Amino acid sequence: MITVTKDVTRETTMSKTTSEPAVNRRSFFKALGAGATLAATPAMITPAAAVDPGKEESKARYRESEHVKDFYRVNRY
Amino acid sequence: MARMKFLCDADRCIECNACVTACKNENEVPWGINRRRVVTINDGKPGERSISMACMHCTDAPCAAVCPVDCFYTTADAVVLHSKDLCIGCGYCFYACPFGAPQYPKVGNFGSRGKMDKCTYCSGGPEVDLSPVEFQKYGSNRLAEGKLPLCAEMCSTKSLLAGDGEIIAQIYKERVVKRGYGSGAWGWQTAYKETIAI
Repeated sequence: MITVTKDVTRETTMSKTTSEPAVNRRSFFKALGAGATLAATPAMITPAAAVDPGKEESKARYRESEHVKDFYRVNRY
Repeated sequence: MARMKFLCDADRCIECNACVTACKNENEVPWGINRRRVVTINDGKPGERSISMACMHCTDAPCAAVCPVDCFYTTADAVVLHSKDLCIGCGYCFYACPFGAPQYPKVGNFGSRGKMDKCTYCSGGPEVDLSPVEFQKYGSNRLAEGKLPLCAEMCSTKSLLAGDGEIIAQIYKERVVKRGYGSGAWGWQTAYKETIAI
């Protein structure tokens, strides 16, 4: 014979009213948002700058080597 | 200062696609991207012409003009390069380029485009010259080795010219004078009002 027993513990937990936490969800996110804004402020006031690859990256790499001279010579045929 | 240019002699191009293959192999270009392509007009008809196309390294590059993150820059050799670290894959340069040069790898999920890839004139990118990182991101840096783009060096009929714009223009002029007629390339008739008679 199967007997169905009630889950007394669960029922008690469900019906119990939770006490107000020290920091509720809304005030937590409000504080988090304010913090993020303050942290982002220095980055925002940094002046925008276009990419400057630097003199080293944009320097001339071409040189008229023997290899290149040979290429020009054979292309004149 | 020498200005790097490509010049395709359409009267010599035989549509062998060696330039395309050479480029893909030399730079280990991923699937779905062709930094260089051969375009044929009037295929199979009289007056058929083929021309090898890639980034033309424009003086006032439209890709650079529309880039919202300004990742393009022009080197002292007049080669238009870009930084893949800055590229956000928005695709504006793809629409701006009249030659279809900038392309995106289609390897991710829907909406993810990765970083734009384009012809670098075999001169790498903003990374340290001839470094493994540079090769992995941009391909080989033949200019730093004292060479020219492999597509032009591999061309069997010497149709594709690369190098100092003034020198290759002179080579092309000599060819035209020797042949006695102009190129069948696009725009020739518009510019010179001559019929193509071979």
